[in-house]
Amino acid sequence: MAEVNLKNIRKSFDGNEVIHGVSLDIEDREFVVFVGPSGCGKSTLLRMIAGLEDITAGEIFIGDRCVNDLHPADRGAAMVFQSYALYPHMNVFDNIGFGLKLNKVNKVEIRRKVLDVAKILRIEELLDRRPSQLSGGQRQRVAIGRTIVREPSVFLFDEPLSNLDAALRVQMRMELEKLHERLQTTMIYVTHDQVEAMTMANRIFILNDGVIEQIGSPLEVYRNPTNLFVAGFIGSPRMNLISSSILGVQEKQLTIQLPGGKVLPLKRNTEDLGEGERLTLGIRPEHLKENKEGDEFFEGTVDVVEHLGNETYLYITDADKNLITLIAEGESNTQKGETVHMGFHHKHCHIFNADGEVIN
Amino acid sequence: MRYFGSLPGRGSSMVDSVYFLIAVSVVLIFVFPLYWGLSTSLRAPMDTFTVTGLGIPGIHFDPTLNNWLDQLVVPEMRKSIFNSIVISISSSFLALALGIPSAYALARFQFKLIQNRDITIWFLSQRVLPPVATVIPFYIVLQTFSLLDTHLALILINTTFTLPFAVVIMRQAFLDLPIELEEASMMDGARHFGAFWRIALPLSAPAVTATALIIFAFTWNELLFALVLSSKNAITIPMFIAGSFESRGVQFWFLSVRTMIAMIIPIFIALLAQRYIVRGLTLGAVKG
Repeated sequence: MAEVNLKNIRKSFDGNEVIHGVSLDIEDREFVVFVGPSGCGKSTLLRMIAGLEDITAGEIFIGDRCVNDLHPADRGAAMVFQSYALYPHMNVFDNIGFGLKLNKVNKVEIRRKVLDVAKILRIEELLDRRPSQLSGGQRQRVAIGRTIVREPSVFLFDEPLSNLDAALRVQMRMELEKLHERLQTTMIYVTHDQVEAMTMANRIFILNDGVIEQIGSPLEVYRNPTNLFVAGFIGSPRMNLISSSILGVQEKQLTIQLPGGKVLPLKRNTEDLGEGERLTLGIRPEHLKENKEGDEFFEGTVDVVEHLGNETYLYITDADKNLITLIAEGESNTQKGETVHMGFHHKHCHIFNADGEVIN
Repeated sequence: MRYFGSLPGRGSSMVDSVYFLIAVSVVLIFVFPLYWGLSTSLRAPMDTFTVTGLGIPGIHFDPTLNNWLDQLVVPEMRKSIFNSIVISISSSFLALALGIPSAYALARFQFKLIQNRDITIWFLSQRVLPPVATVIPFYIVLQTFSLLDTHLALILINTTFTLPFAVVIMRQAFLDLPIELEEASMMDGARHFGAFWRIALPLSAPAVTATALIIFAFTWNELLFALVLSSKNAITIPMFIAGSFESRGVQFWFLSVRTMIAMIIPIFIALLAQRYIVRGLTLGAVKG
């Protein structure tokens, strides 16, 4: 059991800095997810915690030990790789028991532990097989088994489900959640899949370009994104981001322009804001309604209609040529080419200033 | 064995036939001299120059094992076989023992002072140098150490010349291994050496075997340095064959036996080693 603390971690490759001073605290037994687009540095950060990547500057603590100079095996962390990384020349039993064997655990004990783990993961009947004889899901279980058996204080997962098909991914996701409940161990999980992030995490760390953009519980970052990046990254389909400008500033009230020229008054902290300033209005697709429902509405023409059965996606071009996505519940009767009046409530509006920071 | 001509999407049977004819012709061009050598080795000296047609034993002449029995008891023959085996196997082991760790280091570590790529090219450049240019320096060095006409001299020289093969081939083999396997083993508690010894090396067995065979064949066939550095004790098979030109001219019947023996041993070793050259050893390690 351990907390993980990163203090001002930096990483450069050939003088090119990719992690710019990341500090974060992960509590004992917490399940946190590092999420971000490809190349944002999330895997590098995980590999630095694991000890597979050198740290250019900063300190990493696992428990109360600074692990900067410790070998990966001495950090008390175990890692599941994206590619599974099973040893192809060993059977499943030896794959799982390899770490124990290296640590000179006696054979009887190894056998007992491997069988225990195999039971938890329901892979008892696969122990004699080679990795090449396993399906993707089975390989993933073995890879997880290999980490559990060492009883680490921190589990590290590097996009472990990205090679699985959609159905299996959902199943493994639930199994990982159960596993976390059962083992009560700190888990750090890296993914670019926001569904995994939203469903599994106690807390999400959203990374972009080597910095943390926002930290919070899944619903917190979904409801209250602190900047444009998070607003656009979390949520699928992504939040509609409409560029606009300030028409008027009064105390605690802001008037902005909607596409088509309408005026939208919003209660916001107006400090440091002035007339004419550019800003971005964000509204999630599910918060837009087809029929003027809500406090305000603006018009647009439907380009594409996608029926998903339980809901309908409408892709709409508004008067200012912004591409807007609207999610209608159930089966919508709206046809391509029709004009829709997209209604919304003030409380669902997110406003970001010219620097992309949220205005509350 | 799959016959590629039958794969769907291939051309017409006419095209297949042309491919087949080309393949058979190429095989014949390579195999016929071997066959002719075998045929000659089974002939009495009288038949060597008189046999007509394809020289099929039992049809065009009466085969005899006399040449073989004669040659197998010649002391130089036995000595040269023994020497060649000792020198080739020792060189293979030595070149691999030095080359594999170098190759692994070049594949997995970044050197700062001199770039990895430059070191690799330096190794390769050793093969560009014409060996004959180094004969005299090597002769003088070995003479200084009183190593002329010894096994050790030829083992060291051949290792020097085959080491670049080992480094370049094995480096590529290690580069082709998914690094996650070694990283996983390090997370499991292995140090760098453990990751190399328990994971990378076993998984590179096919490449190790192939490299060993190449070095063995190279050393087995080496003539220049054997001729210059050996005279009596450390004679090798190629030297012995090259010396078949005697005062009575070339005795083709004996020469054929020597050539056959020189070929049979590497072929036998290659067949033994073949089972280690299996493809897809890393299948199932990572996604795929």
